[in-house]
Amino acid sequence: MNDTLLEVRGISKRFGGVQAVKGLSFDLRRGEILGLLGPNGAGKTTAFNMIAGYVKPDEGNIRLGVMDITALSPWNVCKAGLARTFQLSKPFGGMSARENLIVGNLVKHNDRRRSADRADELLDFLGMQDLADVDAENLTAFERRKLELGRALSTDPTLLLMDEVVAGATPQEAMVMVELIKRIRSSGVTVLIIEHVMKVIMGLSDRVIVMHLGRLMADGLPSDVVKQPNVLKAYFGDDYVDAGV
Amino acid sequence: MDWYSLTYAGLNGLLTGAVFGGIALGLSLIFGVLRIINFAHGSFLMLAMYTSFWLQKFSGADPYLSTLVAAPLMFCLGYFVQAVIIGPLIRRESALVVEPVSALLLTAGVYILIDNLALMVFGPNVRTSASVLSSSSLMIGGFPLSTPRVIAATASLVMAICASVWLAHTDMGRAIRATAQNRDAAAMSGIDVPHIYNLTFGLGCAMVGVMGCLIAPFVPVTPNVGLGFGIKSFIVVVLGGIGSISGSLVGGVVIGLFESLASQFVASSLASIFSLLLFILILLLRPQGLMGKK
Amino acid sequence: MRLNISKNWIALLLAVSVGLPGVLADGYFLQSVTMVLFFAYLACSWNLMCGYVGQISFGHSVFCGIGGYVSVLLLTNVGLSPWIGMLVGGVAAAILAVIIGYPTMRLRGPYFALTTIAVAEVIRIWVENTDSAFGIQIKGAEGLSVPLLGTNWSMFQFDSQIPYYYIMLGLLIIVVLMTWMMERSRLGACLKAIRGDRDAAESLGINPARYTLIAFAASAFMTAMAGSFYAQFIRFINPERNMGIELSIDMALMSIIGGQGTVAGPVIGALFLAPVSELTRVYLGSSLPGLHLVIYGLVLIVAVLYLPKGLLHPLRKLLHRMIGRRALGDGVRVKAVALSGLPGTAQGERDE
Repeated sequence: MNDTLLEVRGISKRFGGVQAVKGLSFDLRRGEILGLLGPNGAGKTTAFNMIAGYVKPDEGNIRLGVMDITALSPWNVCKAGLARTFQLSKPFGGMSARENLIVGNLVKHNDRRRSADRADELLDFLGMQDLADVDAENLTAFERRKLELGRALSTDPTLLLMDEVVAGATPQEAMVMVELIKRIRSSGVTVLIIEHVMKVIMGLSDRVIVMHLGRLMADGLPSDVVKQPNVLKAYFGDDYVDAGV
Repeated sequence: MDWYSLTYAGLNGLLTGAVFGGIALGLSLIFGVLRIINFAHGSFLMLAMYTSFWLQKFSGADPYLSTLVAAPLMFCLGYFVQAVIIGPLIRRESALVVEPVSALLLTAGVYILIDNLALMVFGPNVRTSASVLSSSSLMIGGFPLSTPRVIAATASLVMAICASVWLAHTDMGRAIRATAQNRDAAAMSGIDVPHIYNLTFGLGCAMVGVMGCLIAPFVPVTPNVGLGFGIKSFIVVVLGGIGSISGSLVGGVVIGLFESLASQFVASSLASIFSLLLFILILLLRPQGLMGKK
Repeated sequence: MRLNISKNWIALLLAVSVGLPGVLADGYFLQSVTMVLFFAYLACSWNLMCGYVGQISFGHSVFCGIGGYVSVLLLTNVGLSPWIGMLVGGVAAAILAVIIGYPTMRLRGPYFALTTIAVAEVIRIWVENTDSAFGIQIKGAEGLSVPLLGTNWSMFQFDSQIPYYYIMLGLLIIVVLMTWMMERSRLGACLKAIRGDRDAAESLGINPARYTLIAFAASAFMTAMAGSFYAQFIRFINPERNMGIELSIDMALMSIIGGQGTVAGPVIGALFLAPVSELTRVYLGSSLPGLHLVIYGLVLIVAVLYLPKGLLHPLRKLLHRMIGRRALGDGVRVKAVALSGLPGTAQGERDE
């Protein structure tokens, strides 16, 4: 039984004169946490958006389980079992935290009682029980991040794509996030996470892949990848590496 | 269909189109700088036309002379409306509290207010201003063209050129263009953005005020004559490209020709349907207009 | 305790509205009240799509007009009862809504509004300038009259004002119930999510176009029914009054000022504005034409600047203070006082 959940084969995307992603291929195994790294402009978010259905790849294909999700719209990608968070939190204003968590589940199951129960479960999981009725617009930045995560989980996904969840968080908050992600993985959800904060991604990921100028540059264990010369060159430049640090 | 009628229709369409373009100039400017759709645009045109009428009634002045009164009057009114009514909304919008369609609603409120105040005060009857030139015509290339129309069309062109030059070469013009490009950067460069907004709105209204007086000799005025022209102006601006002065004229001419030629085949009152349909098509297929940039 | 108060409010409202004809007696005043209900109904129908999706339509009167024209033409040409004609008109309007909506849903707010104006105007101008089409008399700007039949239940005509009043009241209750049910349904949640953030809604499995079109079609259907009612009530329709921009703006205005995207908002907006319109038109119409619209314009300006969420919001706060916070429950969301009270909504509150 194939335990590869996500198969990305040779996806590329060009925006006008810029080749954002070129021939990207990687696998994601069921139950693992895969970190996606790369300096700014490496094409991580574009790759992310292609997988999630917001951007159509120029070439290549993407497979989730047995389903080809390459050309699917975001809502159909969600139905296939993929959920995502956004780099800039996008809570549903005018709705309470609980309602934010109900929507995704309600769309899937059309059972309000069931969705309300699930929402309460998620509120407990996120530690946001007292914020249940607060309008999402009135939450703090970190609370919104957590809500974003919870909302993605409300659709009961098999794969969770996370786009920078600890940016701007305090060390305490980052630790809370890391814990949450670990617990999400234990519950059986596979995770692909883009993150800049090294400490977080190194400690969290089972495996990392590194992108640079739209291409895949490295793929392996965190401890191995971080020592590779080409990875160091990409982040810190030739001088740093040649100085033999 | 003979060649003569077709060419005559084309020439008239060109003239009418230039007038549409001239009327839309103010809207294009306001939209380009403030990024709001001024639903009340036609109302200012209507007010200028009434100014022309009442001035003539009380002093016997020719409508063309009333431009000297109407333009400053509309400028002040526009400045006031922006400063007192629309300004507070824009200030609030920067705090992301308000939805973008609120400006449209607000100017819709202004339109309802102005048009119906006019109805209340002036009454519903049709009024006409007559100029000494009203019934004269010029022979151009063997075609008799109504003089007031030619004057209005020419004035549109002149106004467009002057506006372009002014925006490009004066300090105030540059400040306006800077604000249009990037409000925050302009503010940080020391530009008084609210003042620029008030000024731009005033100028836009002044321009439409000029056009109001120029069309008064051949367009009768009622309190609700503004809306039709307002809608036409939206079409022209979208067609020509938002914020583009030349686009405004080009868009106007296209509409004018389109309707004029269409009138040869269907009843003229139905001709406006075609511009409306064109408008919808442009919005769906090429929203940046004929001359605008994406 | 909260549920009791809500139920009491509703019972009171119903009792008053049902008993009203008894107090007012047949006649012109009752007709005015019926017109107020008519506008409340229109505002609610507009709100079904525009309030919840957040796309402002300034061309909704075209659906009203279509409803009226379809039912009248079916009546005068085929002898079809307006009760059925009403439904046919509704379906026609719904189909038109889907046709218009499909390509235009994607347009940003102000552009969508302008497009709805354009579409409505195209249809209105066409009707206004067409005497007959496909062999059917449309009579253009002259308008169509409904032949006088006296009191005839199957043909939707009555000598007395009273049946009309109850029918309109019934329609209003139906549309309010529809809105209330939709809000709690999956459709309502989806619309609110789309309005909240379109990208995020898509990521949760919501196809924005599909749900928006459903709401648009429902809204058009209900609006059209009002047009058919009007045709039978006033027995005269014409393009300017039934398909014009003025009617479109009135509808939108009442819903916006009352509080769009809520159940009671449009009703409140209409109850506030429509009587003003009726009164000024009746008493001052000849000496000060357009006064009621001047007031509308002022109210709209004030509302956009100072009451962006509509009258409902401050009204709620006022009632909070009068009756007590606990009694009314969930304070953060803008909701109808008389029509809140779903089990499961939390009791807690947090200041904004």
